[in-house]
Amino acid sequence: MFGAYDIPLKIEQEGISLSVEKDGETLVYRRECADEKVEKTLLTGKGKLLIHPVEPLNKPKALTSNLLIEFDKTLMAAPKETSKIFLTFPVEIGVFISKGKSSDILDVMTLAGQKFTLYGDPKHGVICKYWKSEVFSALPSVNPIHEGVIGLDITNTTAKWLEVTQAVFNAQGMRIYYDDTLVSMKANMKIMGKVIAETDFIDSPLRKGMAKSLELYVSRKLQVVVPKFVMEAGL
Amino acid sequence: MILDRVVYGKVTLLNLIVVVVILVVAVLIAKILSIYLRRSLKEKLDKENLEVIRKVVYYGIIIIALFSVLPMLGINFSGLLVAGGIVGLAIGFASQRVVSNLISGLFLFIERPIRIGSAVTVSGISGVVEDIHIISTTIRTWDGFPVRIPNEQVFASNITNYVVNVARRFSYVIGIRYSDDAEKAMEIIKNLVEEHPLALKNPAPFLFVDELGESSVNIVVKVWTPVTEWFGVKAELLWKIKQALEKEGIEIPFPQSEVWFANELKRQEIKDSDQSSS
Repeated sequence: MFGAYDIPLKIEQEGISLSVEKDGETLVYRRECADEKVEKTLLTGKGKLLIHPVEPLNKPKALTSNLLIEFDKTLMAAPKETSKIFLTFPVEIGVFISKGKSSDILDVMTLAGQKFTLYGDPKHGVICKYWKSEVFSALPSVNPIHEGVIGLDITNTTAKWLEVTQAVFNAQGMRIYYDDTLVSMKANMKIMGKVIAETDFIDSPLRKGMAKSLELYVSRKLQVVVPKFVMEAGL
Repeated sequence: MILDRVVYGKVTLLNLIVVVVILVVAVLIAKILSIYLRRSLKEKLDKENLEVIRKVVYYGIIIIALFSVLPMLGINFSGLLVAGGIVGLAIGFASQRVVSNLISGLFLFIERPIRIGSAVTVSGISGVVEDIHIISTTIRTWDGFPVRIPNEQVFASNITNYVVNVARRFSYVIGIRYSDDAEKAMEIIKNLVEEHPLALKNPAPFLFVDELGESSVNIVVKVWTPVTEWFGVKAELLWKIKQALEKEGIEIPFPQSEVWFANELKRQEIKDSDQSSS
């Protein structure tokens, strides 16, 4: 489903119905997905439609830029060691309209479950998009329309065994790659204490040949420092 | 010359004109600077801080101008200090509330229990803080009316700030009939809350049978939501809960009383008389 499409087009896939049709001098974009209908008129007669996986933080409302992934089982991180695990994340499908070098978001949809949670306490905590994931030791096979895969390197920098039950990521640093069968991200989690860790993303695909997605959450400032999320309210 | 005419003491008409001109110019400069600050810092500072800076600059210029023209009016500060005792007392009594409001306003700026844009209840008035002035605070009620509250009252009253935290909780009490299955009702409600994306996963929603009421078994439901979304979620969920319970045959009862008649025979007699008449 992901890729670039010439207009007009019609896509029917896994409960998603998407079309762009000519209507005189303009184009009409129609989409149906999970009981949600969208119709927009595009004031142009030509262009391209780009369908990419985007940061999973837009549906049902863009309330937060943080994604919390709860592990289905508790992990014990060995002292001074780095381990690689694979987690799933919800996929949101971004539809971009493109003309020449200019492209902008037209619509976002998802087939994945949606839930929010609070990380930390109500005064100092942050609202996060919530996702519960199985923990895999090898790259799992998932439906790329529904779920993506994060390859997460967990580094325990302390001298103690520590329990890890969740990871929080900030959308500013998310770098999503896709191909026909996989949507992926690569991330690090550096544990610095019993309740403190730092997460960030690596700008590379999980496997060769994947294309990079367009990003919705682009930092306005020059990224001299890689955007990180500091987990201070527990692992 | 007419401008040299003495008005009182050593103060001439020229002095008075100069004083008025200086004050008018000071007010003009203060206003221009205030507008300039608003325009130039609009995107760099949040509205609240910008307002504070604007007001400090505005009133600062006027106060400096006022103090600089006082000697022209024959008022010197040493004299003021002597006269200050009596005049200050008189002014103090007269402007007690104004000064109190002013000082309360300063404390509000320092403590910041509320900010511009916050949803609050102050002195029993609920709404959004529209502006915090040096003397008073304006709250726009949910119905859209601006209400001016003196800062003294704001400072001294209980303030509920609904948006200071990122999440908040709301509750329902849902009564069902004694004949209904309370466990089933709780399961239906729990599933609905868990399905709602904006009802937070953590802190977890909480529901329990709270009371065996006169006409109903009362189930309390407590749900946490992002603070910006609570009202919409509360309204939406309550309606969904009502519909889902009714769909499963669980009804929300009306208040009811059992009435015992002392004499059942009387009813029989009326029935008999009805039959005989027919």
